[in-house]
Amino acid sequence: MKEQVVCKTSDIQPGEMKESIFGKQNVLICRTPDGNFYAFMNQCVHQGAPLDKGMMCGANTSQSEPGNYHHCRKGEIIRCPWHGREFDIKNEGRMLANPEKKLPSFKVRVEDENVILYK
Amino acid sequence: MAKQPIPLVDTDIHERVQYRELLEYLDEPFRHYISNCHWLQEKHMPYTQPSIAGVDRADAIVPDGRPAGSDLAFMQEQLLDDVGHEFGILTGALDPSPSSMHGWHEMAAALASAYNNWQIDKWLDKDERLYGSVHVAAQDRDEAVTEIERVGSHPKMVQVLLPIDDIMWGDPYYHPIFEAAEKHNLMIGMHHNEPPIYYGKWPRYFIEWHTLIPTAHMKQVTNMIFNGVFDKFPNLGLIMIEGGFTFIPHMMWKMDQQYRDLRHEVPWLKRKPSDIMKKQIRFCTQPSEELSKKDFTSLLEQMGTDEMICFATDYPHWDYDSPYRALPNLDPELKKKIFYENAKNFYPKIPNTREGYHEGTSCL
Ligand code: FES
Repeated sequence: MKEQVVCKTSDIQPGEMKESIFGKQNVLICRTPDGNFYAFMNQCVHQGAPLDKGMMCGANTSQSEPGNYHHCRKGEIIRCPWHGREFDIKNEGRMLANPEKKLPSFKVRVEDENVILYK
Repeated sequence: MAKQPIPLVDTDIHERVQYRELLEYLDEPFRHYISNCHWLQEKHMPYTQPSIAGVDRADAIVPDGRPAGSDLAFMQEQLLDDVGHEFGILTGALDPSPSSMHGWHEMAAALASAYNNWQIDKWLDKDERLYGSVHVAAQDRDEAVTEIERVGSHPKMVQVLLPIDDIMWGDPYYHPIFEAAEKHNLMIGMHHNEPPIYYGKWPRYFIEWHTLIPTAHMKQVTNMIFNGVFDKFPNLGLIMIEGGFTFIPHMMWKMDQQYRDLRHEVPWLKRKPSDIMKKQIRFCTQPSEELSKKDFTSLLEQMGTDEMICFATDYPHWDYDSPYRALPNLDPELKKKIFYENAKNFYPKIPNTREGYHEGTSCL
């Protein structure tokens, strides 16, 4: 099984993300506000933008009604730096506007201070 | 995976000036108005910004913090060298936009001249791949003609840029601008600024406004055609920048049918509108919808030509189209036309090869 330490837990604060390398792949490590780690390919599935230049933020959810915003999920959504598509970190990297599309993801585990990606 | 360079004439690249950079190119009192009176062009798009870095790609902000598009070296690294552009056409000046000034034409004309000099100095003379647009304060027709006469013969100026705001440029009053452009082998590029697309008002959401921008482009094309610009100036071409292209067949069918019914009102039109479009009007592909190859091919069939659309990235804006990913996979010959030949054939001043341009030929 291929696995690799991609960073230290202290390298990424909750609510932040960072690019790293896993094998030959450019990957994005996200740490949600609850302290958990997630990893995706660092390339938008739309036109290939580098997602680490985007933003981890909240979202207006589908519970919003016309003229009435329902905003939550703070720090759990990646917004692409180009066309702004939103991907749900805690739901397999699925696109909010089209959940059939998702960012390719990697398995993550934390051992001691190490963030480890594996397949 | 190493990217293959794509031979490309990129028909929409936004270089960006910062107001303080214009100062050295401005005479008094206009310099004073900016440096001491802190004049800024008023802009009022009443929306949240479309993306996380405003209207720019977040990764295009210059590493030292300057705004996206403001630094040639960074543009070279991120766009021109990375993609491998043959040529790129600069279409900046959205802010300040001389032709979008309300009143105060003196300031608009001064800004246009300063901008053109800055563009030549800082961009066109510095990178052989880059070609430019003559900015004019077009609402002041005579000043615009004077400016075209002043910089239009620069070997790297390929078009006169007119904004899509609230003036319809086909009106015979503006024809001297087209006459001057044609005289200097310049095409007309039209790019929207803040076009009213909603009965003169703003719709409630940016997504509505941005969806309907093509309607503002359609209005200008219709206006230019039925006002007889293209028969009057047979060597003039018009390129519609950043309105997309999927509406073209509709326009061709609609205008041809209207022409057959209503020719008596516009007897100066000698050819059917679709023929004029095929010969003299081009459309940039960006912002492209996500078409399948089948839909894309069928659209070209409906246009009756694959020579009317030209690829554009719109770098560094948020709705950038990647030359690698924006269009479906096309056959090499068709791809070459859309990415390179159509634009190259459209602009008479773009040379066949980069060696065709010799630095120092500026007549300014
Ligand atoms: S490249 Fe990410 S939204 Fe288009």
